[in-house]
Amino acid sequence: MITVTINEKDIELEKPVTILEAARQGGITIPTLCYFEGLEKFGGCRLCLVEVEKLPKLQTACTVMVTDGMVVRTETDTIVKARRAMLEFLLINHPLDCPYCDKAGECDLQDLVALYGPDSGRFAEGKRQHPESFDDPIIVRNMERCVNCKRCVRMCEGVQGDSAITVTGRGSHSFIEPFSGGRYDCEYCGNCLTVCPVGAIMSRLHRHSYRPWFVEKEIESLCGFCGVGCSMVLQMRENTILRTIPRMDLGINKGLLCAKGRFGYDLVESSKRLTAPLVRKNGKLVPVSWDEALGTVAEKLGDIKGMNGGGLIAGIASARCTNEANYVFQRFFRETLLSNNIDSIARSFYIPAQNYLEGIFGQGVTANLISGIGNSDAVVIAGGDPTKINPVLGLQIRAAARKGARVISLSDSEGLKRFGSSQLISSAGSENILYGAVVRMLMEGSDVPGKNKALDEALQKLDAPKDKDVESRTGVSVADIGKAVDELKSAKNVSIVLGPDVLLRDGMRGLFLMASMIYLTDARVYLLSERPNEQGLADVGCLPDTLAGGRPVELSSFREKYEQEMGYAVPEKAGMGLFEMVEAMEKGSIKAAYVMGDNPVFNMPSSHRVRNAFKALEFLVVQDAFMTETAQMADVVLPAAIWSEKDGTFVNLERRIQRLHKAKNSVGGLEDWKIIVKIAGLMGSKMSFGSAKEIWEEICKASHLYGSLSYEDLESDKALWPYKGEPLRSGEAAVEVPEDHGTAPEVVVYADRSLFHSGSFSRYSAALNSIQSEPYAMMHSDLAGRIGVKDGDKVRITSGNSSLELVSMINDEIRDGSLRVPNVFEGVCVMSLIDYEPDDSSAINVQRTSGLKVEKA
Amino acid sequence: MSRKVRKEGYPSTRSELLGALHTKQYDEGWLSQDGLKAVSDDLNVPAAAVKGVATFYHMYHNEPMGRNVIQICTNVACMIMGAESLVDLLKKEYGLEPGGTTDDKRFTLVIMECIGACGTAPAMLVNDDFHENLDEKNIIEILNGYK
Repeated sequence: MITVTINEKDIELEKPVTILEAARQGGITIPTLCYFEGLEKFGGCRLCLVEVEKLPKLQTACTVMVTDGMVVRTETDTIVKARRAMLEFLLINHPLDCPYCDKAGECDLQDLVALYGPDSGRFAEGKRQHPESFDDPIIVRNMERCVNCKRCVRMCEGVQGDSAITVTGRGSHSFIEPFSGGRYDCEYCGNCLTVCPVGAIMSRLHRHSYRPWFVEKEIESLCGFCGVGCSMVLQMRENTILRTIPRMDLGINKGLLCAKGRFGYDLVESSKRLTAPLVRKNGKLVPVSWDEALGTVAEKLGDIKGMNGGGLIAGIASARCTNEANYVFQRFFRETLLSNNIDSIARSFYIPAQNYLEGIFGQGVTANLISGIGNSDAVVIAGGDPTKINPVLGLQIRAAARKGARVISLSDSEGLKRFGSSQLISSAGSENILYGAVVRMLMEGSDVPGKNKALDEALQKLDAPKDKDVESRTGVSVADIGKAVDELKSAKNVSIVLGPDVLLRDGMRGLFLMASMIYLTDARVYLLSERPNEQGLADVGCLPDTLAGGRPVELSSFREKYEQEMGYAVPEKAGMGLFEMVEAMEKGSIKAAYVMGDNPVFNMPSSHRVRNAFKALEFLVVQDAFMTETAQMADVVLPAAIWSEKDGTFVNLERRIQRLHKAKNSVGGLEDWKIIVKIAGLMGSKMSFGSAKEIWEEICKASHLYGSLSYEDLESDKALWPYKGEPLRSGEAAVEVPEDHGTAPEVVVYADRSLFHSGSFSRYSAALNSIQSEPYAMMHSDLAGRIGVKDGDKVRITSGNSSLELVSMINDEIRDGSLRVPNVFEGVCVMSLIDYEPDDSSAINVQRTSGLKVEKA
Repeated sequence: MSRKVRKEGYPSTRSELLGALHTKQYDEGWLSQDGLKAVSDDLNVPAAAVKGVATFYHMYHNEPMGRNVIQICTNVACMIMGAESLVDLLKKEYGLEPGGTTDDKRFTLVIMECIGACGTAPAMLVNDDFHENLDEKNIIEILNGYK
C-alpha cells in the first residue's frame, strides 16, 4: 500500500501510479493540456506542474510516479505563477481568434487561460503566420492555433497505428502535417479530431455550423456500418445531427471510431433519400400515398399467396435492420404469408460459417470479446483484412502486436503489414494448400488433441499437401510457414480472425481447415462481419429453416412448442435459402419477393443472373431508404427509416446485444417494422406493436437464447453471451474433409472491402465520397506491368458478357494476380464479374472468377 | 559514391533512419518527397515519421540544391574575421543570396552555425570539403574548382 498526501489529503493506492492519476482518484483536479488518457505520456505542456516536497523544482504530475510518503501540493502561488507563465508562452503564437473558431466553448486552452491565464501578453513580436490548410476534403488544419501537445500524433501512432501525421520543422515553426503536407493519405479514423484540445485539427463537415451550446440533446447510440457495433454520441439540434462524437468511456470502442462511423453519418440527410412511397404505373414508378402503396402490396401479395400458398413469395431481410424489424419481417412471412422463404445476404458468409463452427465446437463459439484479441499472444488472420472490414476490431490486433503478440497473416492485410511478423500470402486460388500446410505442421510431433472425436478422425484423414507442392503452388516458403507454426505452437492464447473469403473463395475446405486450426491451437475465433446485425438476423429467425432462438422449423416438437408459446402458426416445411430463391425465381416457382433494406441485384455475385431472376418476378416490393438498383426494378418502393431514425437492437459479432436509439425523425421513411405491421394488418394479421420495445419483449419470448433481457438490462453487461442462460447446443456435428476446389487462374477479381465504404449503402454519404469518390481497379505493379498500364490508366475487365472500364490504382501491398474493385458505386458492379457456384453442399456457394480478361482500355 | 544503408545490427530499422536520410541526400542532393518515400519503404518506417525527422534537422535539405553546396559559418569568430563580407562577395560574384541557388544550379549558399574552426576563421564547407583562412581572394579561387 502506498500513501501519498496531496493538498493535505491522504490518498491510499494499491500500486504506483502517476501523481495525476493519484490526484484524480482522490478527487483533486490538476489542469492538463497535453495529457490524454490512453496516450503515451509526454509531459510537454507543463501545465500539470506540482510541488513535491524535497524536490527542488516543480514536477509534471502526468509523468512522475508517486512514492510512499510523497507530499504533493497542486495549487500554491509558485505553481499558479508557473502555469500562468506556460500559458503566456502558448499564447505567443496562438491567434486568439476564438470568436470564429469552432472549438470555442469546448477548448482546453480557452478554459485554462480563463482559469490561470495572464490578462495580457508581454511579447511585442508578431505571431507566426501559417495559412489554414483546406487541402483535405474532411480535415482542416489550422496550425496557427496548434499548441504542439502532440496528442494527435501520439493517437495516430500509438493507438490507431496509422502514423500518418508528424511534427514537421522545429521550434516555433513546428507544424502537424501529413506526409504530403496537404491532403491526408490516412485511415481517416478522425481520432486526431477527438484528441485535439484546441481548434487546430477540425472537421469540415460541421465547420462554422455549430457551437457547443447549440447542442440541444445528446443521444447515445450505435454506429450502423459494421458488425463491431461502436458506441457514439449524436449531438442533435432539432432534427439535425450536428456531429457525432465518441465518448472515451462508452461502449466497446472506448472512444475510437473509424472513417465510416465518424464521417458517414451524413447519409441520413442525403438529398437522395426516398421521401414518398412509389408504385409502378404504366411502367414508371410514381409517388403515391402510404395508404395506396401499402394497399397495393397487401393486395398483390394476397393474390399471389392465394395462387399456391406463401411458397411463391420470398423475403430478403437485412443485416442493416434491427432485430425488431427482422423479427416482425419473419413473423409476417411465417404467420401471414405462410412462407418460410426468408433469408438474407448474410447467407454468403457469416451465417453458414457460424453454423459450421457451432456445429463442431458448440453454440456461442464465436461469441468472444473483441477486447480479448488485445490480450492474445498470437493472432492468425485469414480471409480478409480485419483493419478494413471491422476497423475497430483491427485496432485490437495492432494493440496485441505492440505488446509483442505474433501476428500471422494468411491473407492480404495491408493494415497489419507494419505489425505483422509473418505475412504468408499464397498466390490467389491456392489458399487451401497454404492452410493445409499450416494444419499439417501444427499436427506434426503431437497427437490429435482428443477433445472432439469427429474432428480428430477428420484430421487423421486429411490429405495435406507435400512441401514441394506447397512452395510451387502457393509461392510461400515452407521455412516461413514452419517458423510461423512454431510461434503458434508456443503461444498460449491464440485468436483466429476469419474474414469472408475463407468461405466465399476457399469454400468448405477453407472453413474446415480453419476449424482445424482453431482446434489445434485451442484458439478463440472471431468472424468478421461487414454489417451491423448479421448475428441478430440469425438470432431472431430470419432463416429459412430456423425460428427465433435457433429452433429448427422442421422438427415438429420445436415448431409446435413455438406455435403454442407465440400464438401463431409456422409453415411446416423449411423454406428456400437466398441462392435457392434466385433459382426458383428463374424457374417461376417464386413469383413475388419482398426485399427489406438490401440491394441483392447489386450485392450478390452473378449480378446479371440475379437481375434477370428478379426481372422474372410478377411482383417485387423493396423497402429501402434509397433508390437502389433493386428498388429501381420494384413494383412498389417503400421508403424506410435508417440508423439514427429508429429504435431497436443490433447484435454484434461478439454476440453483444446493444441498443440503437432514435435520435431524429425520418425525412420521409417509416420504421421498417411499422411498415410491415401495417401491411400484415391489411392482410388480416392480428400482429400489433406500439413500439420497438414491445417487439423486443416478444422476441425474448420467442428466443430463449436472449433470456428475458429487458431494454434496461441491455445497457449493462447482461447483454453479453450467454446472456442469462446456457448455450443450447454442444458441438457434436459430423465432420467431413471437404475437397479442395481451389483454382489458380491468372487473375482473380475481388470486391474491395474498402475502409471508406460499406457496400452500396455508403455511396450516399457525401463525406465518405469525398474521401473516395471514384471506382478503381487496384492491382499490383507486376500485373500492371504485364498488361501495360500505369497508375491512373484505364483498364477494361471483361468476364463473359460483362465488362467494366476502370481507372487503375497500383498498390504493391496487395498480392500479384488479384484485382480489387469496390462494389459501391452506381453503374460499377464488380459482382457482375464474379460468379457463384455450389461448393460441397448445395447450401454453400463460393465465388469464382473465370475466363477473366484484363487489358488496357 | 554511395553509402550503404546498414539495416543489420540495430534493434529496429528506425535506428538507421538518420544514416539512410544522409545516404539519400548524398545520392540525390536533397530529400524530395519521393526520396523520403523511398527511405520509408526501405526501412519500413512510416513516411510521416521520416518526414518529421528530415524536416527537424537543418543538415537535411528539403529543397532542391545546386550542384555544389557552400556552407559558410557566420558565428562570432568567423563574423569578426570577415565572414559577412564573404557572403556579400558571393552575392556580388554569383548573385547568391543566403539560402538561394544560382540560376545555373552551380551553387547553393547555406549560412551555417559554428564548425569548430574558430582559430582559422573564417571557414566554410563546400559539399564535404573543409576550407579555412578564407579571404575575398582565395574564396573565389577555391570556388573556381567547383563547377
